[in-house]
Amino acid sequence: MKPRPCLLNFALLVMLFVLSGPSAFTQPPRSTEDLFISDNPVGRTGGNLVVSLRSEPKTLNPVTSTDVSSREVIAQLTSDMIHINRSSQRTEPAIAKAWKVSANGLQYRLELRHGLRFSDGSAFDADDVVFSFKVYLDEHVHSPQRDTLIVAGKPIVVRKLDQYTISVELSQPYAAAERLFDSVAILPRRLLEPAYNDGKLDQAWGLGTPPQLIAGLGPFRLKSYVPGQSLTLERNPYYWKVDKAGNRLPYLNELTYVFVANADAEAIRFQAGDTDIINRLNADDYSVLEKDEHAGSFHLQDIGSSLEFNFLFFNLNSSLPSQLVRKQIWFRDARFRQAVSLAIDRNAMVRVVYRGRGTPLWTPVTPANNLWVDTSIPHPARSVEDAKKILISAGFVWNAEGVLLDKSNSPVEFTIITSASNAQRVKMATMIQSDLKDLGIQVQVVSLDFHSVLDRIFQTHDYEAAVLGLGAGDVDPSAEMNVWMSSGNDHVWDLGEPHPSTPWEAEIDRLMEEQLSATKRRKRKALYDRVQEILAEQAPIICLASPDILVGAKNEIENFKPAALDPHTLWNSPELFLSSGGSL
Amino acid sequence: MRYLGFRLLQSIFLLLGVSLLSFIFVEAAPGNYFDEMRLNPRITNETVAQLRQDYGLNQTLPIRYVHWLSSVSRGELGFSFAYDSPVAPLLWSRARNTLLLTGSSIAMAWLVALPWGILSAAKRKAWIDHASSVIMAILLAAPDVLLALGLLLFAARTRLLPVGGLASLATKSGMWPEVRDVAVHLFGPVLILVLISLPTLVRHVRAAMIEAIDSPCVHAARAHGIPRSRILCRHALPLALNPLISLFALSLGSLLSASLLVEVVMSWPGLGPLLLDAILARDVYVIIGSVMIASLFLIGGMLLGDVLLFLVDPRIRTEGLA
Repeated sequence: MKPRPCLLNFALLVMLFVLSGPSAFTQPPRSTEDLFISDNPVGRTGGNLVVSLRSEPKTLNPVTSTDVSSREVIAQLTSDMIHINRSSQRTEPAIAKAWKVSANGLQYRLELRHGLRFSDGSAFDADDVVFSFKVYLDEHVHSPQRDTLIVAGKPIVVRKLDQYTISVELSQPYAAAERLFDSVAILPRRLLEPAYNDGKLDQAWGLGTPPQLIAGLGPFRLKSYVPGQSLTLERNPYYWKVDKAGNRLPYLNELTYVFVANADAEAIRFQAGDTDIINRLNADDYSVLEKDEHAGSFHLQDIGSSLEFNFLFFNLNSSLPSQLVRKQIWFRDARFRQAVSLAIDRNAMVRVVYRGRGTPLWTPVTPANNLWVDTSIPHPARSVEDAKKILISAGFVWNAEGVLLDKSNSPVEFTIITSASNAQRVKMATMIQSDLKDLGIQVQVVSLDFHSVLDRIFQTHDYEAAVLGLGAGDVDPSAEMNVWMSSGNDHVWDLGEPHPSTPWEAEIDRLMEEQLSATKRRKRKALYDRVQEILAEQAPIICLASPDILVGAKNEIENFKPAALDPHTLWNSPELFLSSGGSL
Repeated sequence: MRYLGFRLLQSIFLLLGVSLLSFIFVEAAPGNYFDEMRLNPRITNETVAQLRQDYGLNQTLPIRYVHWLSSVSRGELGFSFAYDSPVAPLLWSRARNTLLLTGSSIAMAWLVALPWGILSAAKRKAWIDHASSVIMAILLAAPDVLLALGLLLFAARTRLLPVGGLASLATKSGMWPEVRDVAVHLFGPVLILVLISLPTLVRHVRAAMIEAIDSPCVHAARAHGIPRSRILCRHALPLALNPLISLFALSLGSLLSASLLVEVVMSWPGLGPLLLDAILARDVYVIIGSVMIASLFLIGGMLLGDVLLFLVDPRIRTEGLA
């Protein structure tokens, strides 16, 4: 029987469609592809997920992006060679399926997966890797990623050995070398080399770029962008991960980001079912949503402490106005700082500021960093009596009104600055003010615009004390070199020291340098533990509290495993699936 | 025409003045876009300094102002540090949505305020006037953000209204379903904006109408036995028009700026979220660009108000001719 003309036409159309190039239909795995097999439970394909973003992404260019929203979206579009598993916090193979380190620790030989394709269907090989690193390391491109690829002041050198093998050379052994590659997106040379050669790479892959001109090795690819409203990604049909049953991941058809500029509105939209996952809730919204949790179709999770540490610190910078120099006599005395630390009620802070959904801190390494936290650091409870004893030993006295006086009989008073846009930190500063009243210390709290706070801390040094928060992007101590080294950019209490100004800072410098080149993890841990001990003893920063990571998801989402590292909820997006297999 | 030409020339100088002041104020604010990068322990000071230099932040204010003026002449309104792109396309794509929202809400607000104010004035000191005063006082006292969050909560609880956004994510086929979808999403933000602006408008309409009703010509009309409704519409309302036209012109002028807060709370994809982001990040040219567009609308609104007054009020026409 002859096929009917309309059927024939239809068959021809389908053939043309399949042969015409990139398609949204998932491509069956080919024997030539070196795919990563996920060990997660096998899921069901299909469905769309809607997630809110607090601010709109600014670019889709991995080379120039700096803001959190852009990086979150880019993480779904691209892949790195070696990836940090957000759950185990350890490195795992990604585009590089294996690697070997030379005996002297200076050379890494990375074997790339064979037969992979970018999301536009074009082939991937070592040339793309070499091109990517050339771009990131080019001084004229000014990629913020460049700094992470500089080891001991020298950029790493990436060479192609063959089509699927590359070597990475370091100028000195670097303990965290494998972690350097995390989030360094591999770029398609074919698409970006012309822009790079024209010196216009920074303008490539903006939000207005047509989707077909953007390709990556991530689980999704760009489908559409509506300014101010939403950005939709669709499944990358060539993604390099499969499940145990051999099905190509991701399971989801689409991932849509909607832009919701306000935290409360974000919670309300999640409650209303407009969004399926909420990546980060504050404690107030969490307690409101909690009431509806059982009646609603969603569940909330408090996954424990985050990596963010909030702290009080005093201005120990040199060359300051005379009034500040007088106060610095107190601030520079470790006993004064220890007394202040002892007088602060951290548990009350967690109860009031985070409604109990936080962790009191005595070191900057939070319990979320389970690989590096030193659990032996003492956690002394608040004791005004002990704090007073320390102050007496440091030569402080009290007058008849109970006001603390220094050796020159001047009352001890200072001002804490903090960011007005961060209600939690304002509350912390206010609680410190109240706690220190018991020591006879008069504290004023001044909340300023965030940029003004940064300007005073980093530029003018015009402040007495400040409450600030830092959150490392990685758990490894190498990520915090700039904070603890006396010459570091984020050595907030005393910036731009040419030499360590105290013996304990010199010791921290030595320990941090040593841990960076030590190759044995146990040795590194011992060195970093000592850093934590010194920080707890000397209290250059007085750690206060860390907020818990509070997330929510619809009950129908499976394989949902939020983690302490960013992005908390979508780090395993390829493995997420809907129990119904359809749209939520 | 001479009058119009003069006002246009005035407007250009006014815009130049606004742009210069914006530059000076933004410069006076401490910090810049790249400061926040300093909190990232993985980015060095040298990289931050290089980026500042690349984006021209190390140049003096006059040089930056001249560069900005030249970008205005190219229709770019400066360069956004955050988006790595000219400012104008960023603003226009969102300004349309803001105009849709504010245009609808201003139209609705006047449609409600005009009869309400006239009724209040006509029934002065009656129970209806007192009830109206109480409602207006409550609306005036309620913070805008509270009204917006209240409506959002109502929408989330009842599911009667969409919870923010301009359109549903689900694809719609055909123009009519799309228009209907946008209209449904528009309802909430418009309602909030109407509630916010209603007290001011109703009070102004009422005050203007009372003044007109108390005028000698209206008394004379009443003495002639002209029906009350005709007196209100044909004699009192034209008398009250002058201050109302000025108010209308002002509300047109605030077309782009009136809804910023509501847009942020209701996730309306207009200028509000963009401007908030830009202010928080110190993306200075986006801030200045937004101020310039808002100023342009304000000047345009005032100009339109002047023209309307010129057409409506014969005294102004006579003064103009003299």
